[in-house]
Amino acid sequence: MKKVLVILLLAVVGFYLADVFIGIGFGNDHFVKSDEIKPVKDIYLQQTVENLKVSNAVTSIVVNFRGFDTLGEVTVLFLSVTALGSILYRKRHHAGDRSVLFSASSIVTAGSKLLFPPILLLGAYVFIHGHLSPGGGFQGGVIIATGFLLMLLAYENYTVSHNALSIVESFAGITFAVIGLMGFMNGGTFLQNFLPVGTLNDLFSGGIIPIIYIAVGFKVAAELTGVIYTVLNEKGDQKNG
Amino acid sequence: MVGTPVLFIAIPLLAAFLIPLLGMIWKESVRIVPGLVLMYLMVLAVSLMGHVAHNGPIIEIIAGWAPPIGINLVFNAFTGFLVTLIIFMGLLVWLYSYRFKSNVEYEPARKYFILLMMLVTGSTGVVLTGDIFNLFVFIEITSISAYALTAFYTGRDSAEASFKYVMMGSLASTMLLIAIMLIYSQLGTLNMADVASKIHLMDPTLKAISFILFVVALGVEAEIFPLNGWAPDAYAEAPGPVGAAFAGIVVKAMLYALIRFTYTIFDLSGAFNLLIIIGLLTLVIAEVAAIRQDKLKRMLAYSSIGQMGLVMVAFGIGTREGVFAALFIMLNHAIIKPLLFFSGSYLVYHSKKKYISDIDGMGKLAPFTSLLFALGAFAIVGLPPFAGFWSKLSFLVAAADNDMVLIIALILAVSIVEIVYYMRVVNRIFFFKRTTGLLARRPTFNAYIVMSVLGIIVLMIGFFPDTVTGYIQAAADSLFDKTQYIHSVLTASIQ
Amino acid sequence: MDNTYYDLLTYVVYGSAILVMLIGLYAVLVKKSLLKIVIGLSIVDSGLNLLIVSLGYLKNGTAPIFSKGFFELAADKPMVDPLLQALVLTAIVIGFGVTAVALSLVIRLWRHHHTLYIDEIKNLKW
Repeated sequence: MKKVLVILLLAVVGFYLADVFIGIGFGNDHFVKSDEIKPVKDIYLQQTVENLKVSNAVTSIVVNFRGFDTLGEVTVLFLSVTALGSILYRKRHHAGDRSVLFSASSIVTAGSKLLFPPILLLGAYVFIHGHLSPGGGFQGGVIIATGFLLMLLAYENYTVSHNALSIVESFAGITFAVIGLMGFMNGGTFLQNFLPVGTLNDLFSGGIIPIIYIAVGFKVAAELTGVIYTVLNEKGDQKNG
Repeated sequence: MVGTPVLFIAIPLLAAFLIPLLGMIWKESVRIVPGLVLMYLMVLAVSLMGHVAHNGPIIEIIAGWAPPIGINLVFNAFTGFLVTLIIFMGLLVWLYSYRFKSNVEYEPARKYFILLMMLVTGSTGVVLTGDIFNLFVFIEITSISAYALTAFYTGRDSAEASFKYVMMGSLASTMLLIAIMLIYSQLGTLNMADVASKIHLMDPTLKAISFILFVVALGVEAEIFPLNGWAPDAYAEAPGPVGAAFAGIVVKAMLYALIRFTYTIFDLSGAFNLLIIIGLLTLVIAEVAAIRQDKLKRMLAYSSIGQMGLVMVAFGIGTREGVFAALFIMLNHAIIKPLLFFSGSYLVYHSKKKYISDIDGMGKLAPFTSLLFALGAFAIVGLPPFAGFWSKLSFLVAAADNDMVLIIALILAVSIVEIVYYMRVVNRIFFFKRTTGLLARRPTFNAYIVMSVLGIIVLMIGFFPDTVTGYIQAAADSLFDKTQYIHSVLTASIQ
Repeated sequence: MDNTYYDLLTYVVYGSAILVMLIGLYAVLVKKSLLKIVIGLSIVDSGLNLLIVSLGYLKNGTAPIFSKGFFELAADKPMVDPLLQALVLTAIVIGFGVTAVALSLVIRLWRHHHTLYIDEIKNLKW
């Protein structure tokens, strides 16, 4: 009975949602036709080439035009790691005890060992070239974290130092915030670019944008690894725990 | 000037990233640094308020892109008032919980103080930001800290309360995002002032849909009926200071967002009536529920929801006097409800189930705490000459000016319910015989200071309401002046 | 390409994105297992992200990257909306954070109750 009601409710919600979005249209210019409307995306596309010399427009939006959002986003990740630690905290901590215990075959262990360095390299490549090609700090960080996940799954006694993760995370976060505050130099504003921007499509271009994205990459990698490691170390199956 | 508004966000974030490093060197720093940061922000807020009073609003541009291209922060009389209030309450909650449980170990203590500081920062960001997507980001920062703080005690039910909160909050943020996308898909901008100046171009149906989505989404966070199912459990299961922080900080910021959307961004004619209706519903249902509670913190939680309903009704009146009354009630609630939570959590400290009957005869065992609880109870129900009286009076005057007789009658009836359940508790504290063998817990030195400060402020607003009405009037004027807000943001440039 | 193709595509793209959201919502409302509820929440997020990204698409659009290849091969094509892609990036990260917190709460509840079924956990009123 409840299921039928829920399906009816969802059908109504879905119908109106679809109606609204199909009314907006797909693949065409959906902004209201008026002289007053100047979509900011056009300004972004223009300024990223002319002013910032960053070829990936998504990167220039994420790190510069709307860099404040990204600072908040990085904070959300930091907070979720902190929250995870606080929620799962318990007094007696058995380091090294894993809830997921299994012995991987030698093909898996050897393969993981082989794949681990290239994965790290790929992650680093993705976040260093975030301003030139698709990708960036978040994507690169996630790739690096998958490398650590692979190692944690293949080796049951593989450990990552919580302190090391915490130090990397803190330094990356501090770099972001300090670069932001350095924008105040020469009478600028928070997060304003203060370095030369170079030429379009060069590795060294875009001023502070690649530096911030590299810091974000380190931070995301450390935080995601921390999340995976904390949850893997959770011993859930004790009756008297 | 000692700084710019962006420091309200940047400094706590820097400190939050720094605390894990400092904690490795000196463990006590994890308790001290958040307090120092909040003290600095308090100084900053007060001095910026002085600046705003003389030179007009401060529009902070971020990343060197003037609105509507970049994100901006707005510090005017209204947002400044709320920011000062939020940071002041954050400072008091920090001071209160500094040694709340001295046996809490290093790891949880570090996380608690980081989360508390980010709760304050997220709420500050919600109030300051001038961009609707940035608002979403700050709401998420606030909510994630709130989820974690709700589940801070490793007891049985706190995780359940928090899970409920996560479910509702997560669906709310989905709706918020849909609403933001609808606005962007029509107007091509995310800046609040820019959206407000172009909203008349939007298709009326889409405008109404996105407004309703905003109200529903923010209603979940601001404890508005019928979306407040998370609130009583979260208040009851969270540590005492966190309950105070919810009432004094989080709800205020979320309500601000709702009001900003209604007053500045949307120009819908029916919006004010909608506010009155859901406000009245919230008020009546919450107060009726409060009288049926047998646990102290749940009763306080329902009372808090009821007060939010009252604020909604006051905003819904839609006149300058109504806004003044709403802000006055918000201020009083932000000060009195934490006082009740602080003193109340000491009164039921040793009780396992936290039943109201466990505080029978507490007046003899813990006279100071009981007296402050009674002061808070008298003030919140609006007995003269305490703080709540003046805010309720200004509300009734504003309603009477608009001939809202039915509403006045309803509010007075609900006030009687409120008086009944608060006086029942006060009566139990002072005139009942102690039946349980539970002893009273002596407040820590910091808790004494915090409760005394709040008590003194309640008395001060009660006897000299003129000390605060000037600020509230300026804040109300600033909220009401929509054209000036839009103009000042859209003409802002780097100084 | 002709317009009927795009009209059809409108229904397919938005319809499937909304369907994904509804499937997630169904799981949240009906399923009794905490883990399935969390999975439902994350499916809702995914559906919403699909919806937002497809909103930014333009006919014959190309990626918003001014690479050398773009100037040589596709300089006359319109670029899809980069802002929506940036917003989706933010939304994904926030969704991840919320999911992580929700999962950790599930672990906590499992510790206390040794079950994931909501009916056996309800100590508080739902």
